[in-house]
Amino acid sequence: MSPIADALPTGIQACGCLTPFGETEATVAALLDGRRALQLRPVLGQDGGDRVPLALMDSNDMAEALPPRWLPALRTLAASIPRDAWGSPRCPVVVTSSNFGVGSLYAYLRSHDAGHLRHGAPFACVEMLQDEFGWGGQVHVFSHACVSAHVGLMHASRLLQAGLADRVLVFTFDFVSPFVAGGFHSLKILNSELPAPYSARETGSIGLGDGAAFAVLTCEAAPFRIEAQALHNEMHHFTGNRADGSGFAACAEAIAAVADGRRVWVKGHGTGTLEAGRLEAETYAKVLPGAPLVSWKGSLGHTLGSCGLVELALTIEAMRLGRAPGTIGSVTPCFTETVALAPFATAGFDGAVVASNAFGGAHASLLLSHA
Amino acid sequence: MLERHILSTRIERPDPSEEAAGARARLAGKFPRNSLRRMTHLGLLTGAALDGVAVDAEDAVVYATTYAETRALEDFLASFPAASPLLFQSSIHPSAVQQVLIGRQQPIRRFWPVTGRRRLVESALLAALMEPAPRVVFTGGEERGGWLLKREMAADLTFAFGIVLTTGPDGAVGSIRFQPGGTGPDGPCPTLLAFAEAVSGRTPLRWRGAGGEWSVAWR
Repeated sequence: MSPIADALPTGIQACGCLTPFGETEATVAALLDGRRALQLRPVLGQDGGDRVPLALMDSNDMAEALPPRWLPALRTLAASIPRDAWGSPRCPVVVTSSNFGVGSLYAYLRSHDAGHLRHGAPFACVEMLQDEFGWGGQVHVFSHACVSAHVGLMHASRLLQAGLADRVLVFTFDFVSPFVAGGFHSLKILNSELPAPYSARETGSIGLGDGAAFAVLTCEAAPFRIEAQALHNEMHHFTGNRADGSGFAACAEAIAAVADGRRVWVKGHGTGTLEAGRLEAETYAKVLPGAPLVSWKGSLGHTLGSCGLVELALTIEAMRLGRAPGTIGSVTPCFTETVALAPFATAGFDGAVVASNAFGGAHASLLLSHA
Repeated sequence: MLERHILSTRIERPDPSEEAAGARARLAGKFPRNSLRRMTHLGLLTGAALDGVAVDAEDAVVYATTYAETRALEDFLASFPAASPLLFQSSIHPSAVQQVLIGRQQPIRRFWPVTGRRRLVESALLAALMEPAPRVVFTGGEERGGWLLKREMAADLTFAFGIVLTTGPDGAVGSIRFQPGGTGPDGPCPTLLAFAEAVSGRTPLRWRGAGGEWSVAWR
């Protein structure tokens, strides 16, 4: 398979995110300070269980309230979206998530309160958001585990390139619940250790975090642009990657070809698992020699399907500030010398690569630049 | 205008009483043994709908479902507090297509897993029609739920379809067109089941949505 990226130059008119640290600016400030949002909490929330690293937007250990705990947070995020005729044919909305409101099904089984079922299925959750935010009927919904946001961004770029839309709102979110924390804990990658992305240590571990983000994409001039996007699906194993790293290479080489001649840094996926972290670090060190590689999941945790857009918003803010946060929680030795543990200046760079991976050996990356 | 030609179609609509175990026995010959035992009902039917369709690495795959792996979801929830890793993996969207393509060890570049309800078919067709890949495999389906069905949170029928879409008309049996423009409010978009039945019966479809006119026509 030849490594080809989709050259879909797309302006980012507005972009923002919400994490346990707050909105975009507050989150980047916390990351630059080297702070961790992750705390050891019971994996099943109020039902207890092992204590695992979770970064939550509230202190109630994933309590399933009605309305669901993610709705007030999404209202906060939505308040910062520029007003437009969202959901109309010329201004469609693309919603992405890995979990949507599925955690509510766990809450329903605990409480038998049918109110939790109202947003338990993806469509019900999205229709709730349509009503809540006054979006029209043109809402496209994608769910591809932890590359969901990237898939949504690429679909939005396609709508713009095809002349089918003037602006597209991409809206993404994933909130941790006992459902998802229990699932990752069963895979043994969510354990009692805090994640240390790209660190060569004995045991790998991830953290999970709440995250939500939006981007308004346009064909018009904008301060930041997505120059190209690439996707690749290994279809080798549900939770593992091809050992030769060919899956990582397929996506990274495609983006590196577009970035040829430019000096970029890489916001990697870097959850804290060992094998995937090593393959990712080695791949980017090879295809983009010398490009600093960072992951912020050692602080924010893995925000699942939203991570691609949450971390794109943080990357844009870092470029705006001129300083990128380092790989929080990690220590030497790392898998490659390119892993940046400390913050660094972005002034000498022409852009950044934003990469994410997912179950099924799914890979996604994009090239971000100043317009 | 965006247009794709329909090269082939295949629909799987088993007896409504069929469960995953029955499908596993019925379709055993179509899947590698080590994949078969882990496959969901929807995964099995998706694989059967794509049986004989050689998915190439350069093809794009579009997958549409409203509820996805309902039974795996129910069983995963029932496995708490000792959550099942296998059921967790199987319950994650878009597991059905991954079950099939991992079984084949078939990488693909672009995979568009679409969900939603009211305009699901339209979203999926837009993804397919905007694809630059010369060949797009459009698949989708649902599996009948258990307790979630009783709460109106699952499909009441199990089905899957597989359609191969091409840019060229050679050998095509039909076409899907989207003509942007015109005015007027969106009309009702066919449900996933209605779309699958129209494909099965080669019934033409027309509706308005996404700022244009849609048509599915047959030769």
